Amino acid sequence: MPGTRPPLTRALSPWTYLLRNPRRIGPVFAIQALVTCLLVLIITPTNAFEATARANIRPLEVFTIVRPRVRKGFTDELLALLDANPQQSARVEAKMLWLRMPMIVGEGVAPMIALPETFWAQFLQKVGSRLIDGAMPEPGSDGAVLHEAVVRARGLKIGDQFGKLVDPQDAAPGRFTLVGVLGGEARIGLADHAYASEPLFVLARVPPFQVIYAKEGGKTASDEYLRAAKHAERLGEEEAAFDVIDVTYMEGRIASMLANLPLIIGFITFSVGIVVALVISLLNVIAFQVRVDEFGLYLALGHQRWRLVRKLAIETAVVAIAAWAVGLALGLGGVALYRSLWLDPRGILMSVVDMRPLLFSLCVPVLSTLTGAVALGRRLQRMDPVAVIQRRGAE
Amino acid sequence: MSDLLLKAGDVSLEYLDGTRRVCAVDRVSLEVRRGEFVGLVGPSGSGKSSLLFLLAGLRAPTSGQVELLGRILPRKPDRSAHLRRRHVGFLFQEPFLVPYLDVRENALGHATDPAAAERMERLAEAVGMTAMLGERPHRLSGGERQRASLLRALAAAPDLVLADEPTANLDQPTGHAVMDALRAQTQEAGLVVVTHDPGMLEDADRILFLRDGRLEQA
Repeated sequence: MPGTRPPLTRALSPWTYLLRNPRRIGPVFAIQALVTCLLVLIITPTNAFEATARANIRPLEVFTIVRPRVRKGFTDELLALLDANPQQSARVEAKMLWLRMPMIVGEGVAPMIALPETFWAQFLQKVGSRLIDGAMPEPGSDGAVLHEAVVRARGLKIGDQFGKLVDPQDAAPGRFTLVGVLGGEARIGLADHAYASEPLFVLARVPPFQVIYAKEGGKTASDEYLRAAKHAERLGEEEAAFDVIDVTYMEGRIASMLANLPLIIGFITFSVGIVVALVISLLNVIAFQVRVDEFGLYLALGHQRWRLVRKLAIETAVVAIAAWAVGLALGLGGVALYRSLWLDPRGILMSVVDMRPLLFSLCVPVLSTLTGAVALGRRLQRMDPVAVIQRRGAE
Repeated sequence: MSDLLLKAGDVSLEYLDGTRRVCAVDRVSLEVRRGEFVGLVGPSGSGKSSLLFLLAGLRAPTSGQVELLGRILPRKPDRSAHLRRRHVGFLFQEPFLVPYLDVRENALGHATDPAAAERMERLAEAVGMTAMLGERPHRLSGGERQRASLLRALAAAPDLVLADEPTANLDQPTGHAVMDALRAQTQEAGLVVVTHDPGMLEDADRILFLRDGRLEQA
C-alpha cells in the first residue's frame, strides 16, 4: 500500500551491502567458488569408470553368456538343460576374452568375443555394430575387429598387434592383429573362434562359453530361466553348475566395485567443506571487524538484534550460493573441456552433468553459511552498542 | 497528549572497574517536556554520557527507572529497541555514518515513518545539505557529516533527541551552525544535549550540571 511502507528499507538490505562492497566479499566469494569448482572437477570424472563399464556391458542387453563352473565344461546334460530354455532362440559356442583398457585411474576391461565365422554377421546385427574401417578377420586367422573406443583407448591402428604375447600387461592371452574397427553402441570386439580354440588358449585356460540369444521379447524370461537352472538339482552338483553373465550380473559386479566410492567422495567432500567453512567463518569475522561501528550504530538506533543477525546470515548465504553457482558453472565448463580434450580421445566415457558433485558440493555453501552465520551471530549477540559509541568517541 | 516525554526517577548506574566499584550516575532525577531544550554540562568523567545512555535505554540503571512517553524502559536494552527507533533521535560526537550508503540512505535507512522522506528533504534544504544527499560520507567535510547525522536523527520526527557532544569535533562556527539547526528542527520535540562547551547551550531552557555522577545544579 503506497505511503505506508518505510521510506528506504533497501538501504539496509543485504543486497545493498553485497553490491556495494565487492572487494570485501571478493575473497570469501573466490574461495568458495574455487573449492566448488575443484570438487566438481574431482568428483565428476569418478563417474567415468561406471559410465565406461556400463557401455562395455551393453551388448549383454542382446545376448547372455553362460560360463561353466565344473571342470568338465559343457556336458551334454548341461547343454540339454540350456536348450530346454523355452525362450532361447539360438545358442552359439564362444570364447570370451578381455582386453586391457586404460582408465583415468588404473585400468578397466573391454570384452572381445570369439565366435565361429558363420555367426559373425548375425552377432554384429544383433548388437547393432558395424564395420567402419578395415575388414573382418580371415577365418582361422589371428585377426580381430575392435570397437573404435577401445582402439582409441589402446592407441591401436589397423595392423597393430595386441594380446599377452605382445603386451604382458594385457588380459587377453595370445596374439591378435587388429584388422578392422567397429562402430555402434556396443563396445565389443570380435575374433575367430577357431583361432581362440588353439592349444595356446587352452593352456591359458580360456574356457568355452555359450552365447544365448533369446526370442524376441523373451530376454528377461530367458535370463530368469538360466538363473534358476544354474542350481538345478538334477545336475547333482552341490554348487551352481554355471554362471549366468547377463546385464543384472554385471551391474551387480559394477555396483560392488563402486560400493565404497560414494562413502569416500562424501568423506572427502565433507572434510573439505568443514575446512572451507572454518576458513570462511574466519574471513567473515575479519571482514565484520570493519563493520563493528555500523552494527553498533544499528543497535543504538533501535534495530532488533535478531533482524541484524538475519541480515548477516542472508549476506553470508547469498555470497555462498552465488559462489557455489559460479563454481559449479566453472567446474562444469572445466569437466566438459577435460572430456573433449582428454577422455574422448582415449575412449573413456564420462557424464558431464552428474548429480553427485552437485549434491556433494552443496555442503560448501551450507556449512559456510551455517558457520559464518553462527560466528557473526555470536559476535553480534555480544556486541555492546555503548562500548562501540564510546570507543569511537574516544578515538 | 501529556507534555512529559522523559522522566528519570532516582536513577543510578554503577559498574566495576577491576575490583573498584564506580558510580557513574548517582541518584539523578530529571524530566524533559515536549519543546524543552535541556543542556547537560560537566567535566570529563562526570557521568554525562552515562546518564544519556540511561535516558536512551541503552544502559539499564542499577537502581531507579526511566520512563519514555509514560512507559518504563525495560532493563534489557534490546527490549526498548522499538521505542528508541520510533521515538528517539541520536546525535553522537562522531557522525557514525554507514560508509557505503549515501547521505539520503543514511538518513532514511532507519526511519519507519512513511513521511520521513519528505520531511528529510525539507530538513536537508534547511541545513544546506540538499546538494549532498547523493554523496557518500567520505566525500563530505566534518561539518557536513555531522549535518548528515542530524538528518538521520531528525528524519523520523522523533519525540526526543539525545545529543552527546555533537559539536566536539567541529570548529566554533560549524558547531554553532549545527546547534542552530538542531534547535530549529526540534521545536516540537524534547532535546537533551550533553556538552563540555556551555557556549553551545545559549538557547537551552535549562542547563544541568553534573559532577561525579550527581546533578549538582539546575
